[in-house]
Amino acid sequence: MTEHASNSSISQQSPALEPDLQPTYNQGLTPLHPPQKSLIRVNMILRALILLILASVAELLLYMHHQVQPALVLGPVTVFAILLVFVLPHRIYRRWGYDMGDEQLRVLRGFLWRTDTIVPFNRIQHIDVAQGPLQRLFDLSTLIVHTAGTHNSIVTLPGLATIDAEAMRETIKGHIRQDMI
Amino acid sequence: MIDEAAPSLTQDEAPFQRLHPLSIILKSFSMLGQNIVAIIVLHFSLFDQNFNYSLLAATALVAMVVGVTTLIWSRFTYQVTEREIRIKSGLLNRNNRSIPFDRIQDVSLEQKLISRLLGLATVALETGSGGGEDGQLNALARPDAENLRDKIRDYKAGLKADNPPAEDQPVTTDTPPLFAMDNRRIFIAGLFNFSFVLLAILGALAQNLDFLLPDGFFDPRTWIDALPEQETINGLSSAVRIGGALAAILSLVIIGFTTGIIRTFVREYAFRLDRVDSGQPGFRRRRGLFTLTDMVMPIHRVQAAILQTGPVRARFGWYHLKFTSLAGDASGETDHSAAPCARLPEIDPILIECAVRPASPDLPFHSVNPAFWWRRAVIAWLALAVAALGTGYFIHDGLFAIILLAVPATVVLFLNWLHHQYALEDGQLYVRSGWWRRRLTILLVRKVQSVDVSQSPLDHPLDLATVTIGIAGGSTIAPLSIADIPVKTAIALRERLFAWQNQA
Repeated sequence: MTEHASNSSISQQSPALEPDLQPTYNQGLTPLHPPQKSLIRVNMILRALILLILASVAELLLYMHHQVQPALVLGPVTVFAILLVFVLPHRIYRRWGYDMGDEQLRVLRGFLWRTDTIVPFNRIQHIDVAQGPLQRLFDLSTLIVHTAGTHNSIVTLPGLATIDAEAMRETIKGHIRQDMI
Repeated sequence: MIDEAAPSLTQDEAPFQRLHPLSIILKSFSMLGQNIVAIIVLHFSLFDQNFNYSLLAATALVAMVVGVTTLIWSRFTYQVTEREIRIKSGLLNRNNRSIPFDRIQDVSLEQKLISRLLGLATVALETGSGGGEDGQLNALARPDAENLRDKIRDYKAGLKADNPPAEDQPVTTDTPPLFAMDNRRIFIAGLFNFSFVLLAILGALAQNLDFLLPDGFFDPRTWIDALPEQETINGLSSAVRIGGALAAILSLVIIGFTTGIIRTFVREYAFRLDRVDSGQPGFRRRRGLFTLTDMVMPIHRVQAAILQTGPVRARFGWYHLKFTSLAGDASGETDHSAAPCARLPEIDPILIECAVRPASPDLPFHSVNPAFWWRRAVIAWLALAVAALGTGYFIHDGLFAIILLAVPATVVLFLNWLHHQYALEDGQLYVRSGWWRRRLTILLVRKVQSVDVSQSPLDHPLDLATVTIGIAGGSTIAPLSIADIPVKTAIALRERLFAWQNQA
């Protein structure tokens, strides 16, 4: 554990960061692999499309039966969809961060609901490295860590380069001890 | 079938055994019990109260249930080898499960009323894998069940190389128990278990069997009509009217207390907690009036101790001691009840047995931020205001009074804030919470699995955070947490927790 909620301990990141990618957002922890932002955006586009389709159907039905004003439903939904695709991915991405300490893994996540989790390596029961079809396109992987706790029994860290995720798995594996409960 | 297996239990190629044949009867009874309601319902509805049809249906049901249970029984086999137990089950989909002894968290024996009459016992194996049904042998002859439990315990004792091999020290009833409850104590515990479950059950029954009741039983208008134009009531003196209302309330209260006392007696009768040292040191708990349970929980599995009480109970000095352990209690509770109704001097020795230091009275507890109550209060006021305005305008003017609920809500929130405190001292984290359900959780810091510091959108402007601690066992819905402390304090607290852990 080196740094926490302070604006002072920044500087190990590359100096030429765009202003709103300041490390304060993730407290100077390691950011996710940059393609993750594109992946979040792809996911958001899919969600936005589904929303737009549903809204169009609703709009059509309302228009046919009640002659409502056009764009009553579609208007707000379109605004929301634009937010989803163009604003949120960046904000979600910059709030993610992780830190492989000597003895613990720290994961920071969340835009509105922020959570900062620390799992000591010797509490980890087993580890998965998972990759979905979309993640494969970007060569990203998710590190999934299982603990014995009922709260936080699964801690996931998406958006790692596959090589990094596998390296982290090997590091953590060395620390797992038997029967700690 | 049981007998021939007995001598060769220790070999690796132990034979597959079946459950005790009498367990067919046992299971048939429980299945019939579930279906008898259906027959009764059919008797009154479809069969038009014709006894012949109902009898025929009942006979068919019994035949079917017994047949199916026998089939299931014949396809259920288990094998106990040196280091694991294998269970084969399933009629069509065969399931082959092996549970290594290493993974078994605790073994409990349970005897329902019928199994006691038949001399059987159910063995439940808990592996802590989350789902309740890890391995259940329902049912073996009582001695076989005890043998199996002892075998698993002995295996685990042998595994602990650093412990000297367990000198045979059978638990006799002569050694004084750590904690036991006599009938008087159970009665006291029952008084605090005030509940309306019986009333709810009666209500549900009446709802479901409403075809037995006259039409319009639940319609208030029927009752208003039945009272002859209020004359009877108007004729009564006000004292009698108040008396009537009081009597109604009193009868509710009596029902509540009686239900609580009966339920407590059924569950806790002859409660007895012992320390066992054969095998791994552990707590052995026996209790039950109709259903006897006999559970052994290893001491090193204790993650946290919980002292629960309420405003009235605390005044009389009664506490409920529970342990959080990886495997949940067989009775469906998330924590293992270790002393349902005890005074602190009785609880302290139990805590010391499992290396938990009781909270000393001069422990420096920290309060959480007052936002804990006022923020919730503001939200509650807003919600109540919306509800009051909405219903008041559209339904009835009297419903504006809903806003008055804000007063008790605020008081309760404030009291909850007063009772939410924490302290970290010497490797133990103490967390108090709740005014009505008062809990003091004593967590052994070296058992912490993970720590979250989280902030909701409402926390950001106030710079507050909630610390949530992952421990093995306990409730998933309400994990151990310290709400609404400043972010800096939260992070410092987390660092202190891990600093302790690394020392251990």
